[in-house]
Amino acid sequence: MAGEMMTGNLAAAWGARLSAVDYIPAFPITPQTEIVEALAKWCESGVMAARFVTMDSEHSMMTAAGAAAATGARVFTATSSQGLLYAMEVLYSISGWRAPLVLVNVSRALASPITLEPDHNDVLAARDSGFLQIHAETCQEVLDSILIAYRIAEDERVMLPVIVNLDGFYLSFTREPVILPAPEQVAQFLPPFRPAHLGFKASAPHALGVAVLGGTPYSYFRHQMHLAAMNALDVHSETAAAFERLFGRRYDVVEGYRLDDAEDVLVMTNAFASRGKVAVDAARAEGRRVGLLRLRMIRPWPADAIRGALRSRRAVAVLDQNLAPGQGGILFQEIAACLYHEALRPRALCSFIGGLGGKNLSEGEFRTIFEQTAEAGVREKGIGPVLLYTEAEHREMTQLQMLAAAPGS
Amino acid sequence: MLAIRFHGRGGQGAKTASRILGTAAFLEGFVAQDSPIYGAERRGAPVAAFTRIAREPIRERGIVAHPNLVVVADASLIGDPAARVLQGVGEKTVVFVNSPLSAEQFRAETSLPGRLTTLDLTEIVVQHFGKRGAISALLGAVAGRLVGLRQGSIHEAIARELAELGLATSDIERNQAVAHQSYETVQPVAIETGVPQPIVPAQLQAPMYEPPTRGTARISAAANSVLRETGGWRTFRPVLVPDKCNGCWLCFVYCPDGVISMTKDDKPVIDYDHCKGCQICVHECPTDALVAEREKGGGVAWRAK
Repeated sequence: MAGEMMTGNLAAAWGARLSAVDYIPAFPITPQTEIVEALAKWCESGVMAARFVTMDSEHSMMTAAGAAAATGARVFTATSSQGLLYAMEVLYSISGWRAPLVLVNVSRALASPITLEPDHNDVLAARDSGFLQIHAETCQEVLDSILIAYRIAEDERVMLPVIVNLDGFYLSFTREPVILPAPEQVAQFLPPFRPAHLGFKASAPHALGVAVLGGTPYSYFRHQMHLAAMNALDVHSETAAAFERLFGRRYDVVEGYRLDDAEDVLVMTNAFASRGKVAVDAARAEGRRVGLLRLRMIRPWPADAIRGALRSRRAVAVLDQNLAPGQGGILFQEIAACLYHEALRPRALCSFIGGLGGKNLSEGEFRTIFEQTAEAGVREKGIGPVLLYTEAEHREMTQLQMLAAAPGS
Repeated sequence: MLAIRFHGRGGQGAKTASRILGTAAFLEGFVAQDSPIYGAERRGAPVAAFTRIAREPIRERGIVAHPNLVVVADASLIGDPAARVLQGVGEKTVVFVNSPLSAEQFRAETSLPGRLTTLDLTEIVVQHFGKRGAISALLGAVAGRLVGLRQGSIHEAIARELAELGLATSDIERNQAVAHQSYETVQPVAIETGVPQPIVPAQLQAPMYEPPTRGTARISAAANSVLRETGGWRTFRPVLVPDKCNGCWLCFVYCPDGVISMTKDDKPVIDYDHCKGCQICVHECPTDALVAEREKGGGVAWRAK
């Protein structure tokens, strides 16, 4: 098979390297550290011309990243989980400056209780920050998405920063073959960054993110960010076409898998979508007409593409690897909202919560999802949120509670 | 419901005045609501505050767009479009201006709509305290008189609100005394509650996407602060007494706005187009060579260009 064996983290580092970034502010956090280690090594050895700077926190790291991008530099950085949350306020500033850097987030569930393994509450906490979001399924897609992200971000019709997301462990530390695009071809795909509204020149100072009071200019500028984000749908489509011409790989804002005659559709994101596809194949082998819709772009929200893929289905299951306490699955809400005006909307919409804190999604769980979703479709009544959590797992849990309890209590 | 809008400059006490009025109305058994609005807190910057008084629960919020009474703590605000003193002021609106001019003189100088009454509150404060100071108690008392609240409740409201700000009892009593004088002296004008304004649907516009050079909150015009002449913020101006100046440059050093330059023979020159009248130079001058003089006339001393 073509390509080289590499982890998702190394693929992310290669994405930055091939994008010929100028500046990398860095702060390590499991499971992202390998990305900045690789970049540090390359900058040290001189194979990369970027300036690599270790910072004292993710907050400083994002501040440096945004400030550098505001001077017109192409900037890359990466974080995860608590680090993303620590940097959160700066994310909103950077998008407001319309500074189009690329941030890789390696998903890891949020404390507390603390863990190292993935779910998507970290990256989805940034969903309203003005950063666009691309969620990757494979190590190849991680690398390719970074190249695509820079081209979209730096487009005059967009000029917004982008988060490229990959799952901790399931991609970050997982090696699989990745084809490295040729640097000359990447240079052809990604022209030099020459923003008209950013830059640093002592003779022509400008102020970004200035104070506005009274609400009118604030409304205008925030709405401009919304329009810019919405423009990214068309820009993504052009960019994906250009990418396919050069590299032969095709990416869309959503990916349909065996949807053609599917009665019921499972909606997923990120690395576990691969397992979802296997589960679809297994169910199909037994005569179930099921398919899978993978959301690749989360911001902007590709409402038309989602409606197009889900209209006329009997039932749709949304598998959220996140949990908004007091609400349920985050993506379920957004799917439901964008189907509301669809006349041919599915008769049942089901919400499943699974893979929290990196918990495996088993074949049995997928089978349960398909069965319950089919039943919901027949009854024409959605269900959920249903937690994917088994009897056997609960027995383990009870054991842990016994061990954690004080003797005699 | 009565809606009262106060306009002042940061430090004059417009916000506290709105609270004194609100508390006084509350003490008399009315339903009251008060709130301020201001930008980054700076002495001298335009401030507005609002008090609503009613017999029924108040469901309005925020700015008063159609006031029954406007209380202007500083006449220079009228000429500053950013202060929006005249917003929603119609023929029936009662307007009080802190000014040494009579209502007739003031109307002759300006083309202010509404029914005007004036009183020189700044002078009352200077007379009693020997220096300029916040005029919140006086503004509250004047507004209370104009809307028909009792002096006793104003008195008590001043005690409560100024104690909240940490003023000593003796200072509160002195404020109550000048407030009393203002309450008695101001020429009352009957407030009419006008017919409700007709409501016209807002004409919405959906902005189009603009390139980031225009669509980003970004200022590229360098050194444009010189265009914003903040000289109109002054109620008092620092004035040099050349004979007393020892040429120490302390005023130059302390000026927070960089509007003092020094001549070759070490004398300060004040840029009055931009001096905000903070009087820090007057305070710091070791030889009393800078003195605070009240801006003349009391009418519109300055207009935005």
